[in-house]
Amino acid sequence: MAEKTVLIIGGGVSGIQASLDLASRGYKVYLVEKSPSIGGRMAQLDKTFPTLDCSMCILAPKMIDCSHHANVQLLTYSEVKRVKGSRGNFLVTVLRKPRFVDETKCTGCGICADHCPVEVPNEFDEQLGMRKAIYMPFPQAVPRSMTVDKANCIECGLCQKMCQAGAVDLKQEPKEVELNVGAVIVSIGFDLFDPTQIPTYGYGRYRNLITSLELERLLCASGPTGGHLIRPSDGKIPRKIAFIQCVGSRDRRFGTTYCSSICCKYSVKDAVLIREHEPNTMVTIFYIDLRAFGKGFQEFVNRAKSEYGVRFVRSSPGEIMEDPVTKNLAIWYEDTVAGRIESTEFDLVVLCPALVPRADARELAKVLGAEVDSYGFFKAADILTNPVDTTVPGIFACGYCLGPKTGDIPDSIMQGSATAARVAEVLERV
Amino acid sequence: MEEAKVEAEFEPVILAFCCNWCSYAGADLAGTSRFEYPTNVRIIRVMCSGRIDPTFVLSAFRWGADGVLITGCHPGDCHYVQGNYMMERRFAFLKEALGHLGIEPERLRLEWISAGEGEKFAALIRDTTQKIKQMGPNPLKTM
Amino acid sequence: MGEEEPRIGVFICHCGVNIGGVVNVPEVVKYAKTLPNVAHAEDNIYTCSEAGLASIKEAIKKRKLNRVIVASCTPRTHEPLFRSACSEAKLNHYLFEMANIREQCSWVHAHQLEKATKKAKDIVRMAVARATWLEPQEEPELEIKDNALVIGGGISGMTAALTLADQGFKVYLVEKEPELGGNLRRLHKLYPTMQDTLEILEPTIKAVSANKKIETLVSTTVSDVKGYVGNFKVTLAKNGEKREIEIGTIIVACGAMNYTPPKGLYQYGVYPNVVTQLEMDELLRNGKIEKPPERVIMIQCVGARKGEIRAVDLTGFPKSDTARLLAKILKAKREEGWPYCSKICCMNAIKNAILIKEKFPETDVIILYGDVRVYKEYEDFYSEARENQVKFVKHIEEVTPEITQEPEGKLTVTAYDALSGLEMKLPCDWVVLSTPLIPRKEEVILARMLKIPISQDGFLMEAHLKLRPVDTQMDGIFLAGAASGPKDVPESIISAKAAAARASILMANKKMRTEALTSFVDEEQCIGCGLCEEICSYGAHYLEDAKSHTIAALCRGCGACAAECPRRAITMQHFTDAQILAQVKAALTEEV
Repeated sequence: MAEKTVLIIGGGVSGIQASLDLASRGYKVYLVEKSPSIGGRMAQLDKTFPTLDCSMCILAPKMIDCSHHANVQLLTYSEVKRVKGSRGNFLVTVLRKPRFVDETKCTGCGICADHCPVEVPNEFDEQLGMRKAIYMPFPQAVPRSMTVDKANCIECGLCQKMCQAGAVDLKQEPKEVELNVGAVIVSIGFDLFDPTQIPTYGYGRYRNLITSLELERLLCASGPTGGHLIRPSDGKIPRKIAFIQCVGSRDRRFGTTYCSSICCKYSVKDAVLIREHEPNTMVTIFYIDLRAFGKGFQEFVNRAKSEYGVRFVRSSPGEIMEDPVTKNLAIWYEDTVAGRIESTEFDLVVLCPALVPRADARELAKVLGAEVDSYGFFKAADILTNPVDTTVPGIFACGYCLGPKTGDIPDSIMQGSATAARVAEVLERV
Repeated sequence: MEEAKVEAEFEPVILAFCCNWCSYAGADLAGTSRFEYPTNVRIIRVMCSGRIDPTFVLSAFRWGADGVLITGCHPGDCHYVQGNYMMERRFAFLKEALGHLGIEPERLRLEWISAGEGEKFAALIRDTTQKIKQMGPNPLKTM
Repeated sequence: MGEEEPRIGVFICHCGVNIGGVVNVPEVVKYAKTLPNVAHAEDNIYTCSEAGLASIKEAIKKRKLNRVIVASCTPRTHEPLFRSACSEAKLNHYLFEMANIREQCSWVHAHQLEKATKKAKDIVRMAVARATWLEPQEEPELEIKDNALVIGGGISGMTAALTLADQGFKVYLVEKEPELGGNLRRLHKLYPTMQDTLEILEPTIKAVSANKKIETLVSTTVSDVKGYVGNFKVTLAKNGEKREIEIGTIIVACGAMNYTPPKGLYQYGVYPNVVTQLEMDELLRNGKIEKPPERVIMIQCVGARKGEIRAVDLTGFPKSDTARLLAKILKAKREEGWPYCSKICCMNAIKNAILIKEKFPETDVIILYGDVRVYKEYEDFYSEARENQVKFVKHIEEVTPEITQEPEGKLTVTAYDALSGLEMKLPCDWVVLSTPLIPRKEEVILARMLKIPISQDGFLMEAHLKLRPVDTQMDGIFLAGAASGPKDVPESIISAKAAAARASILMANKKMRTEALTSFVDEEQCIGCGLCEEICSYGAHYLEDAKSHTIAALCRGCGACAAECPRRAITMQHFTDAQILAQVKAALTEEV
């Protein structure tokens, strides 16, 4: 019955938490995820602040719970196309994109990928590594199935030939599924601000200028370099690393005037991890305000300064220039304390971009009939008293798609549970 | 340089009993926070320090432990209300018993560590290892 | 032991490089294979992944394993996951054991690779020794009562109560003050909407009073909590009278309180115009500031971020000034306070600064800060303040600003500008101190009663900082609002709803399976001395016909009775003497 069924759009940590809380209550949950696997951004991270837990280690049990739970049905590699109806009785059309692999038969052995002749940049690794046209986005993917990227597939049929389980089906067609649900939860997360919008930084032109998410993939043991931090240009270990905060955040030029809430925290975390791993590498963080609020964080920053020797410079750099021979990067900045313009050379620079709404957020909002705020995030019914309700009754939102909030993982999880409570409140009364 | 000295150096084996709710969690926190300490300790998890039968401690020394460390929740905070008080009573008896058996009572140590005290746990292991090293091997081993 | 020979499977995890980067995992696998009763040993990159779990299940079937050991992280996170995998492969999940070679090995011995590997082998050997003695167990089922207790009637407590009541659960809302509302009663306006707190508070209090499922008990405290999840027996106290209620779940929403500086700190309590932000809220609400002040100075982080001064970065200052400044900083008396950042004080100060400017546009408002920690869309609020001519001055926080008073009553604040290093002497009419939210003293009492630990910062500790932010380590007890750390109104509401969601899962399901850790009395050995009955904190032992018996539903598995019994007549399931002694022996000898 619709009253006991919920649709959750977006399989990141907040969507996963909402799914598990509702499923444990006896609700039937459809968890729709656009990419081939649930996990979201948290799956891409190496370690979380300030506890330095291995991100995948703490996420994986929740992902597996989702796939095993009798009340949760995963609809990965799928998108929500149409939503009709109202609270208590929504009719949703979900497009199941063909992955050309039968999820129920695939064992994830990977022989198909070994033989696939096509190599393309891996989105999960932020384009730093490569994957095949038939691929599993990351080793702990849920569901544990390969997917064919038809756009890049040359239809040679080798994967089908090599598959021992007969799971490859290159004739799969897209399928539309109609779902009747009582409530909807949106948890589609965020994208990164595109730093190419700041031409003076040179992102996209300089090899050793990377974003923080790219850094996470480099630090992660399951990433493109097996967890070894090396410079993209020459594979050497960087010895002087700089982090630049607020790239696009708090910036009127781009309308992203808000603070993204988590970047100061994660860059201090990354700095500590780097210093721990490579004691001969110096790390400098360029910041405007060091926003290290949150449980245990001020103490973590104190340790970063005193025990790990991370340098902090209060400045928002103006320009980055590349040495054409060494590919080192010179950062030009105003040292606000000394009152001088300075330039320092680094061999790797990490940009901490603003976290912005996903490119497809507005479209989904239109499909749902929900309002977005001036930044493009899903608008809360009341920012103080109804923070996880959207402007449509019966449709709720959690996680970063609602905007920065406190922004971190516990916050996303609390919001996920809070939307589960809202759904139960609303549907129990219907 | 240091290596020859290290080979001859005595490396004690220390057994640590940790209660699940407080001190074992504190030991985990030391790990999550990456506080380093020497490798001489072997941890045995029990649900409560109140579980620790005196014979566990005596057997440990009999089988060659150079030191035994018992950890539990702070007084008043025991997850099971008074388990740690019962352990404290046994501790007094054990100290005396060890003396009678020819083992220095200082080889047995009781400390309270909460789930939030990762740094304290690491410091405790460093300190205990250092002290036992100075005492030398368990006298029963050479008998 | 069981009837059959143990066939142990050992799975050693690399955990990416977390373990594999320090411990030589293949060497440990090789070693495991040499141990008695080990029928299978393998390594996995991530044993907790689908692949790892599938590997375990397959090995159980193919190699007919009847014991499984996973050597990886702490059992406190993944034990349930691996236990499920064993159950799915039809192996009783009490025949599963974990060996902690990450938190208690690779992560604390990162620079001692050889010794860490040797230690990992010892830990695996200990686990094999224990596993040899493990026995299958059946888990008892607990009934969960479908009513809840919410401790604390502030915005968080009321939100949690309403969320539960709206789902049909009966809620006891207990508040120690004579009225509901908590800290919001003293606040004037809320950022960023600048709504009067009463706009939020009054409808909520009304909704609580109108809701038939909520029994509100003001001027009431919790004086005792007994029992366990689903079956708590709570004693409430009001005016000396006691009342006992039976509860399924508990939500702790006792909140936090505003730090009041001790007399003399920043001359608080000495000069009347040195106030806290909360006091300024009250002054603004009651219209107590009649004359427009010439200047108001707000000082941030009073009593917060007061960790040890470990490193002060004075690069960029002219050399002569640096020495002077450094001397001043090192000589400065260490200001007392709490080490953490209270998160909401920057926004709160800005809110009051804007309110003052709205009321008195000519007043100069200066905020002395270390970092301006506004976040999310509140950044726009900060911009608005600057546009309204509120001045933000970064000062050297390691030197506590001095407050002096002129004969006419005007105050002077002496501080050091962080960007120039120069001393600033600022005359003003009011000094407003931004102080942190700190844990309430009652928290310690509650923590003891409920058996919840307290974090290093003094707030109640959640089960896992990242993954289980509203759960506690006690099943059935949850945290809402500022009880676990400083929060503003929307964050408090979200956490309260989350806590209610978690509590409602238990109550909606009406039942819960609990650990099979219970004691068992061998009646033949028992001499009926009654010591176990005397020492059991839960009343789980009773004597009948001069023999002791265990009430399994009441036994929490501490094992104290097993250790105290003079005849060794009591066995603690899953933590038996044989199992523990086997671990002790294996730790100290190569014997298993």
